[in-house]
Amino acid sequence: MNWVSKFRKIPFWSWFWFILGVIYFVLPLYATLDFSLRMERDTLGFKAYAVAFQDPAFLKTFSYSIMLAILTIIVSVALVVPTAYWIRLRLPEARRIVEFITLMPFVVPAIILVFGLIRIYSSPLEIPFTSIVLLQPLTNFKLGTNILIIGGYVVLGLPYMYRSVDTGMRTVDVRTLTEAAQSMGASWATIILKIILPNVRTALLSGALLTFAIVVGEVILASFLGIPAFGPYLFLLGQHRAYEPAALSFTTFLLTWAAMGIIQLVTGGQSQAAGAH
Amino acid sequence: MAYLELNNINKYFGKTAAVENFNLQVERGELVSFLGPSGCGKTTTLRMVAGFETPTQGRVIINNEDVTHKSPNQRDVGMIFQSYALFPNLTVAGNIGFGLKIAKKPAEEIHKRVQDMLDLIHMPDYGNRYPYQLSGGQQQRVALARALALSPDVLLLDEPLSALDAKIRVSLRSEIRAIQQELGITAIYVTHDQEEALSISDRIVVMYNGHIEQIGSPFQIYNFPETAFVASFIGTLNSFNAEVTDLTNNVLRVGDLRLTTAENLEDRKVGDKVMIAIRPERLNFSSDLKKANLIDCTIENITFLGSIVRIQVKVGDLRLHMDTFNNPFLELPKIGDKAEITCSREAVIILQH
Ligand SMILES: Nc1ncnc2c1ncn2[C@@H]1O[C@H](COP(=O)(O)OP(=O)(O)O)[C@@H](O)[C@H]1O
Ligand SMILES: [Mg+2]
Repeated sequence: MNWVSKFRKIPFWSWFWFILGVIYFVLPLYATLDFSLRMERDTLGFKAYAVAFQDPAFLKTFSYSIMLAILTIIVSVALVVPTAYWIRLRLPEARRIVEFITLMPFVVPAIILVFGLIRIYSSPLEIPFTSIVLLQPLTNFKLGTNILIIGGYVVLGLPYMYRSVDTGMRTVDVRTLTEAAQSMGASWATIILKIILPNVRTALLSGALLTFAIVVGEVILASFLGIPAFGPYLFLLGQHRAYEPAALSFTTFLLTWAAMGIIQLVTGGQSQAAGAH
Repeated sequence: MAYLELNNINKYFGKTAAVENFNLQVERGELVSFLGPSGCGKTTTLRMVAGFETPTQGRVIINNEDVTHKSPNQRDVGMIFQSYALFPNLTVAGNIGFGLKIAKKPAEEIHKRVQDMLDLIHMPDYGNRYPYQLSGGQQQRVALARALALSPDVLLLDEPLSALDAKIRVSLRSEIRAIQQELGITAIYVTHDQEEALSISDRIVVMYNGHIEQIGSPFQIYNFPETAFVASFIGTLNSFNAEVTDLTNNVLRVGDLRLTTAENLEDRKVGDKVMIAIRPERLNFSSDLKKANLIDCTIENITFLGSIVRIQVKVGDLRLHMDTFNNPFLELPKIGDKAEITCSREAVIILQH
C-alpha cells in the first residue's frame, strides 16, 4: 500500500521521461533479440546462437578479448588508484588538469589514437645520434602490439575508471584515514592496499565493468593493430552473416548485465559499510 | 628533562604565521590541553608533534629524542581525530589491531591486546562490529582503543568530542581522563571548549593568534588570568579600564567607583591606566561588611541558569555581572531594586595586557 502511494507522488513528467528513456534503451535491444531468434523461417528458436557459439573463432577471439580486458583493468587500477589518491591527498589543484586529460578519449576519436600509436611506435627506439637499437618497433612483434593495444585501452577506459575511483574516494575521508594509518606506522603501500583500495572497491568494480565492456566490444584499435580480438571478429561476421552477429551482440549484452548484477550483489554490504561515514 | 618538549616552534604557511615562539615542556603522564578560539594554531601545533607538519623553525623532542624531521609512521605517537577516522572496511577488532599487525606482532598477541583494549573502553563484545554499526561516542572510544593499542609515547587528541552531543561529551571526557590517568600516558588535548579544558587537564596552554597567552593549571588559569584575552576567554568576566589613584591603600578608580585590590602596585604610579577583572562569582550581596569593596547598584536583569542565578547590576555607567548559587529559600531581588554588593580585595585582578 505504502509504495503504491509513493509512486503516485512522483509527478507525471518524471514518469513520462523515465518511460521514454526505458523505451529508447530497450526497444533496439528487443529488436536485436527478436531478430536473432528468427534464423529459421516462421519459428522462433536459438539456431543462430548455436551456430555462432560453435564457430571456433568465436571462442578464440572472445577469450582473447577477455584476457585483454583483464590486463587493461589491472593496468588502469594500478595507474588510476594511486593517481586519484595522491591528487586528493596532496595535489587538489591538479584535479582539473587530470580530469581534462582523462576526458581526451571523448575528444580524440579512436581512429586518431590508433594512428598516433602506430606512427610513434613503428620506429625503433635508438640511442640518439647512434644507430644502436634499444628496442625494436613495438608494432613489429606480437607482444609489442599487445602492449600497444592495452595502453590504448587504458586510455579509452580512463574517463570511466578515473571518475568512478575519484567519486569513490569522495565518500571516505581519504586524508584523515591516511593520517590515522600513518600514525599507526603504516607505509604508503600498506595504506593504499589495506585502506584505500578496500574502501573504493565498489567504485573500482563499476569502473572495471565499464572498461570490460569497452574492451570486449572495441573494433578500431584491434583491427588496425591486427589483434585477433572479438570486436573485429564480430564486425567481419556482420558483413557476411545476418543472424549470428545479432545473437552474439545480445549475448555480450546479457553477460555485461549479469556482471553488473553480480557486482551489485557482492558489493551491496560493502558499499554500505564504506558509505556510512 | 621533560618528556615532550616543543622548543621555540614557529610555523609559517607561506607568509602567514600559524604558530609563533611556541615553547612547552610536558612531563611524563601529564595531560596538557591547548585551548583557544578556532584558527589560533592548536591543530597545527598538534600536527607538528604528530609529524604531519614540519616546523619552519624549532625542535620537537620526545623522550630525549629529536623527532622534528621524522615522518609520522616513525614516531610512537597516537592520534585521535574529531571525525573518529575509523577504517570503514575493517571491524572494530580489525581497527584496534591494525597497528599491531603492521608491527608484525604474532596473531595471538594481537588478539589478546585487542581484547584488553575492548575491555578498557567497556565494549568487550563489539569486536566483530563494523564502524557504521556504532554510535559516534562508541566510534570515538574505539578510536581511543586503536591509538592506545600501540602503547604510544604520546597521545594526541584533536577536538575528539566536538562531533558528539552534549551529554556524551561530558561522560566521554571523564572516561578519556580516567583511562589516561590509569595508563599514565602523556597526552595533548586540543579543544576550543573552556569547560572541557578546565575539567580534563593537568595544565592548560591558552593560545591566541598563533602564540601562547598563558600556561598554567586550570586553577591558575581560571583564578589568576594574566592577560585580558585569557580572562575573557575563560569563564564570564567583568573587566574594566581603571586608573591607579592611591598607592598606599591600593585603590583603583573605575568611573565613579573606587575599588581596593590585593595586587601589588609597587611598579605603578598614580594615574597609571590598568585593566582589571572581577569574576561574577566573586561578587556577593553584602552580608559580610568586612569585605573591602562595597558597591551600591541597581538590579537590571536576572537570569536563572539552574544551579546558578546570574544578576546584572548597574553602577553609574558600568554594568557588572554577578553569580549566586540558586537557593529556593532565598528571596531574589527584583529588577529596579537598589542593592549593595561586595567583593574582596583579592577578587580584583589586574591583567598584564
Ligand atoms: N595547510 C595549511 N595551509 C595554509 N594555512 C593553514 C594550513 N593549516 C592551517 N592553516 C592556517 O593556520 C592557522 C591555524 O590553523 P589551525 O592550527 O587549524 O587552528 P585551530 O586548530 O586552532 O583552529 C589558521 O589561520 C589556518 O588558516
Ligand atoms: Mg583545529
